[in-house]
Amino acid sequence: MYEVLMYDGGVYKVNELYELVEDVGGFVLQKTQIQVQITVTMAIPEEERTAIEAKTRELGGKIVHVPLAGTEIAVVAPTLGRHHMPHPTCDIAEQLRRLGAITVVMGLARGKGRRTSQINADEKAIIEEYDAAVFVLGNFKDCILEHKVRLFEDIQIPVVAACGPQLDSLPNCEAVVCGIGRKVERMRREEEIKQLDQISEAMEGVIQVKRRELEEDPLFVHPAEVKDRISELEVVQRSLRPAPVVLHLDGLRVKIPYKEWKDQLSAVDVYGRRLGDIATLSDSRLGGSTLIKIMTRAEVEYHDAQRKKGTV
Amino acid sequence: MTLTDETFAYQNFDTIFKQILQDLGVNRSVKSYRIIANPGAPYFLISLKFGRARSAVKVTDMSQLNVHTGGTALTITDESWAPALLSKLWQRYGRDRVEQLTRFEILIHGATTEELESMELDPGEELKTKLLDAVWRLFPEGFTVRYDIIDDKAMTIIGTEHDMKPEWIKVAKMVHEDVRGKEDQ
Repeated sequence: MYEVLMYDGGVYKVNELYELVEDVGGFVLQKTQIQVQITVTMAIPEEERTAIEAKTRELGGKIVHVPLAGTEIAVVAPTLGRHHMPHPTCDIAEQLRRLGAITVVMGLARGKGRRTSQINADEKAIIEEYDAAVFVLGNFKDCILEHKVRLFEDIQIPVVAACGPQLDSLPNCEAVVCGIGRKVERMRREEEIKQLDQISEAMEGVIQVKRRELEEDPLFVHPAEVKDRISELEVVQRSLRPAPVVLHLDGLRVKIPYKEWKDQLSAVDVYGRRLGDIATLSDSRLGGSTLIKIMTRAEVEYHDAQRKKGTV
Repeated sequence: MTLTDETFAYQNFDTIFKQILQDLGVNRSVKSYRIIANPGAPYFLISLKFGRARSAVKVTDMSQLNVHTGGTALTITDESWAPALLSKLWQRYGRDRVEQLTRFEILIHGATTEELESMELDPGEELKTKLLDAVWRLFPEGFTVRYDIIDDKAMTIIGTEHDMKPEWIKVAKMVHEDVRGKEDQ
């Protein structure tokens, strides 16, 4: 299995690191250079971590723990009104970004109130495009237990709920972090920073479970390998959107329009196979993006067998 | 009444209201307040007693007055007061008599300098606007059916999600009277 790591150091001899990553069969996912400092996010085979760590020491850099790297997470608030935004929604999103996740913040159209609080099918479908979601809820226990809990009852991805009152458990979600509630200031006090850590730990646990489930029936290729090939496409290189290719646990989001580019994307060569044969491509609800879900080895074998039968 | 323990919510609303008042710079202008939240009903009520607004601002504090053939010419020295000054002048003399010559000069036809010297702007209105802003920032977003009681000493606003029941309005009136008569905290 691949492991995603982040190198934080200087640009001095960083090419040697790139070469080593390539030699061990890994990929550089993202480079962010600020003058002479550089952070490199990379995916490497798990067993090669020691080699990368040794090279990092040699270059005077350090390896940063990014347990959420390679994931895209939605942070959902009941509305985008002042009552729910920007705090603590933005603080939670920032915390998850620091641990390597790509995050989006979204507000529901009609999530406010109690009985009137609702989520529509479109919003659910958008949230389900992500690897996991954090729902940021408010102060009243009664309100959360009786009404807000319905916002995420049918969501098919893991959900972590953040709320104010102390709750032992909350239905319809994988984890709940209490003691946050409504805020009008940034979360910068000691106890608030601890709460942010609790949310990221809960999310880490949820992602870990999802990763283990994927390992039971492994993907045909790691999304990072596909990213490497897709990044070579000229249209992706020309894209001005931040992070034009985003990794998911079981696929990728490529920020180019599906309708225009589906054929070129399907034709991308991945270890001698067409991407369209080993993955499902679909249009993203957010518009202007394409979702790629990589099939598992078993699925690809099944499809190969079906195809053979058809030709025989 | 709600069957759940809402201690966190009560404490949190208290904290965030104090922070909002501080953000808006009006924490000294509220003598006392009371927040009652009943999610079981559901209603949310906030009642606050006004403190003293800052002392009245005279027209001469923000402008210079000069005698003019048609009336009085006024030169604004502090532009931040211009909108409030202009609306006050319109209120008293009407739009026809107030002529804006330039960005800083206003001519008031048929007004004497003495009249204008004694004129004061009402800082109480400004305070009420700020306190209303603080209340809207605090009030649960979904509670859009509201009933308010405002007088010269206090302001009480109760809100709910669907129908406002007469007994809740009665509670609001009771709390309003109580907070109104309360001594400084």
